[in-house]
Amino acid sequence: MKDIVKTAATTTVPRAINWNRLQDDKDLEVWNRLTVNFWLPEKVPLSNDVQSWATLRPAERELTIRVFTGLTLLDTIQNSVGAPALLADAQTPHEEAVLTNIAFMEAVHARSYSSIFSTLCLTKEVDEAFRWSEENPHLQAKARLVLEEYAAGADPLKRKIASVFLESFLFYSGFYLPMYWSSRAKLTNTADLIRLIIRDEAVHGYYIGYKFQRAQERLPEAERAALKDFAFALIFDLYEIEAKYTEELYDGLGLTEDVKAFLHYNANKALMNLGYEPLFPPAACEVNPAILAALSPDSENHDFFSGSGSSYVIGKAVATEDEDWDF
Amino acid sequence: MLDHGLKDGSKTAALDYHALNAMLNLYDSEGRIRFEADRMAARQYFLQHVNQNTVFFHSLDEKLGYLVEEGYYEPEVLDQYSRNFQRKIWAAAYERKFRFPTFLGAFKYYTSYTLKTRDGQRYLERYEDRVVMVALALARGDEAQAMRFMEEIIEGRFQPATPTFLNAGKKSRGELISCFLLRVEDNMESIGRAINSSLQLSKRGGGVALMLTNIREHGAPIKGIENQSSGVIPVMKLLEDSFSYANQLGARQGAGAVYLNAHHPDILRFLDTKRENADEKIRIKTLSLGVVIPDVTFELAKRNEDMYLFSPHDVERVYGMPFSDVSVTEKYDEMVDDRRIRKKKINARAFFQTLAEIQFESGYPYIMFEDTVNRMNPIAGRIAMSNLCSEILQVNEASEYNEDLSYRHLGTDISCNLGSLNIAMTMDSPDFGGTVETAVRALTAVSEMSAIDAVPSIRRGNDEAHAIGLGQMNLHGFLARERIHYGSAEGVDFTRAYFAAVAYHCIRASNLIARERGQTFAGFERSKYADGSFFEKYVTRDWLPETAEVAALFDRCGIALPTREDWAELRAAVMKDGLYNRNLQAVPPTGSISYINNSTSSIHPIVSKIEIRKEGKIGRVYYPAPFMTNDNLDYYRDAYEIGPDALIETYAAATEHVDQGLSLTLFFPAEATTRDINRAQILAWKKGIKTIYYVRLRQTALEGTEVQGCVSCTL
Repeated sequence: MKDIVKTAATTTVPRAINWNRLQDDKDLEVWNRLTVNFWLPEKVPLSNDVQSWATLRPAERELTIRVFTGLTLLDTIQNSVGAPALLADAQTPHEEAVLTNIAFMEAVHARSYSSIFSTLCLTKEVDEAFRWSEENPHLQAKARLVLEEYAAGADPLKRKIASVFLESFLFYSGFYLPMYWSSRAKLTNTADLIRLIIRDEAVHGYYIGYKFQRAQERLPEAERAALKDFAFALIFDLYEIEAKYTEELYDGLGLTEDVKAFLHYNANKALMNLGYEPLFPPAACEVNPAILAALSPDSENHDFFSGSGSSYVIGKAVATEDEDWDF
Repeated sequence: MLDHGLKDGSKTAALDYHALNAMLNLYDSEGRIRFEADRMAARQYFLQHVNQNTVFFHSLDEKLGYLVEEGYYEPEVLDQYSRNFQRKIWAAAYERKFRFPTFLGAFKYYTSYTLKTRDGQRYLERYEDRVVMVALALARGDEAQAMRFMEEIIEGRFQPATPTFLNAGKKSRGELISCFLLRVEDNMESIGRAINSSLQLSKRGGGVALMLTNIREHGAPIKGIENQSSGVIPVMKLLEDSFSYANQLGARQGAGAVYLNAHHPDILRFLDTKRENADEKIRIKTLSLGVVIPDVTFELAKRNEDMYLFSPHDVERVYGMPFSDVSVTEKYDEMVDDRRIRKKKINARAFFQTLAEIQFESGYPYIMFEDTVNRMNPIAGRIAMSNLCSEILQVNEASEYNEDLSYRHLGTDISCNLGSLNIAMTMDSPDFGGTVETAVRALTAVSEMSAIDAVPSIRRGNDEAHAIGLGQMNLHGFLARERIHYGSAEGVDFTRAYFAAVAYHCIRASNLIARERGQTFAGFERSKYADGSFFEKYVTRDWLPETAEVAALFDRCGIALPTREDWAELRAAVMKDGLYNRNLQAVPPTGSISYINNSTSSIHPIVSKIEIRKEGKIGRVYYPAPFMTNDNLDYYRDAYEIGPDALIETYAAATEHVDQGLSLTLFFPAEATTRDINRAQILAWKKGIKTIYYVRLRQTALEGTEVQGCVSCTL
């Protein structure tokens, strides 16, 4: 008992988080964005895609399930390892709060894929795909590579780099497919759900990248250069795996070249989030416009009777005043 | 189903039509919108896909022979005309050289409207064929009429609503009517009937709205035993599942809406079904919600008082009529003081705030301002609900049932035949009044050709009322073409004068038909048309343009606007011979048909310079606003930039001259608060708006996370 009191006195006093005293305004901005963006998969009428799912060929269906299992794996990592690991490095209590929100939403994302599976697929198909995800060497390799950087004792900034690559780069080989389907009038409600995930991941990658940039600003030149070398080395490694993963998945449908352009585009975006220059030249990033345009969640005009859209948010409640009722 | 999937053959071209179309949403290197990419997309769509997949016939005779023989076309439609006339009308239609100006127009037409082989693999009709078949079906053997219908449609002035345009002339088809409204009363027979009717009507392809105001609340007694009723939520669940089950030959999902009075005790539960974190047991995903708000609710909120909610069961016992037939505003104090009516209370302002919170999360509910609607209703009787798009406002009458579900008293329910005029094309019409008249005649034909026996109350309502709803679209497109800003003084001035002129010609046409048929709608003699009071505001003041610019615009188009003298003459004619149609105008939101018709939706401002459209059947497609070029972008400010005030102002000007309603969507940036939404609702109510449709939000991407160079993402 005595010991505990002593320890507490000499180290830090437990402090309540005060959102009215901010060290970094970005924390509140991102917190607000993440909370209004809260959603659950139940809001999307996935069952409206059942007919459309039936029009996919068996190979297309298998590919789709595999892609989603791959995404589930990444979301699981980010939820159970990634975000909690970053939590230890947080500089402010507000950053901790944002990171716990990120961790929770990653769990929602992982949960969403299961909603898709249970709505569209047979249990057997799904079980097979999960086994595939455990056995696929490329998927396992990229998971392992990221997990290594998350491991205890790793450099906090390197952890952030790995996390940004996961959020802003690795997810996208998977996101390509639902966007592709939706541009072909298939699985459009599933695409809505994925767009909600993309909406979140874009903010996650941006925020962690922002924190990385703020932290490394304080470092001496040499350390900054070393970090940059590390980042480019890691993205090279990840890209190599990702390219093989993409070939294995998409070769059968002849989409690999398109997906790779999309990977280049997103690799550049991930590097941009970290404050680095792009790696791939513009010519290598010519993403199919249908996919690129499909990424933007805002202002989509849909037929409300068959979908729920991806633009609604939880609003800010403000009571009306007497002057509003002046009639 | 035609395959737009991987084997499209389009991978061979450098860019397929989907990619070309998507380029619309990405600026070119000089920051200009790539309109030419979309035109190329439309062209490539024909070259790569449509032409290759269309069944070829050597002659019209061969084609019609085949389509009738194979049971694709209704022979009865063609048999009303000589082969000679058929050749003539087809030749005239093809002579117009119709081309789809946008990719979405063409894509939407071929995926959702045109006749296909039974396996869904090949196209049997071109656009011209569909137009002619619709014209022939609606004209019912009258050659001159058929020609006029064909001309109005192919010139893009009149566009029948989806069910009519999709189905007319086809052998296996759904109904021609768009929209149905059903009353539900406080007994199991009526609820059972309602579900059956919903199934039947969804199967035939209409949207169905149901009024739940009369159903007793959660916890109300049944047969005198307290706490027995489970209220409106389980009924909503049943309806939601019914609509998912029934769809028209898989063509589109059944769709339904439910309306509830704000003073119903279940109102908060009703709204909570759309909460983001609603429990799965009560969550409503696809059913649309509408709330009926009387004036008294606003008065209570103004005084920051509580609002009482009344048990429908008790109200019905006390007043001897269903809750929905009682005016809450009129009887409010009386009901509050009546101890026989069980009640509870909530704070009125908190109610409005909850309403806005739910609208933020889901876009719902719609709102109908009950007392405004009834004050402006020229027909005897009460309006207590609206429909799936909140533009239909008509009176109905309760049915009573025997235990075996047969009718003890057959009431009336509502159906509505819709079609819209393209304002730009109608302004260009060589005969403005004639265009309106032709449209009224086409819609009347739909009413006369329809007899929904599966729901006798609908059939009776239609037979007696011949209600139609002529809508309008492309207001923003037209204003921008004429270099007038949407919501400006000139924009509002034009709207007022245009709608007054349309109202005049609608009434004139319906009066003509009444004279020709020697018949008026049932109850005409009790309407404000019969005693002439409806016309009061038209014979005591002018509804002509007030700005020089708009006056010049009508002059330039050669349109003579109706004067007070014209209105006085019309009043005399109507009082003498009556009207054939009980209801004439309703302005629907026009989704699909405005793309085919190259219009902006309804009389809304555009939602974006390049609109992203998603629908189950066609996926994500991009649509440029009509008449827009890189040189007149200023006139295409979108709804979020224009804001609710100017939009409400424009709608108020139109509402004055529309006997039914107008689908009015409110647009807010995601940074808005519930207070902003409440203020817009109060303004709308104050300005005499009848209904509010969706609330839509736009969230701007967090700086640093946006898709680069995307037209629809920029602000």
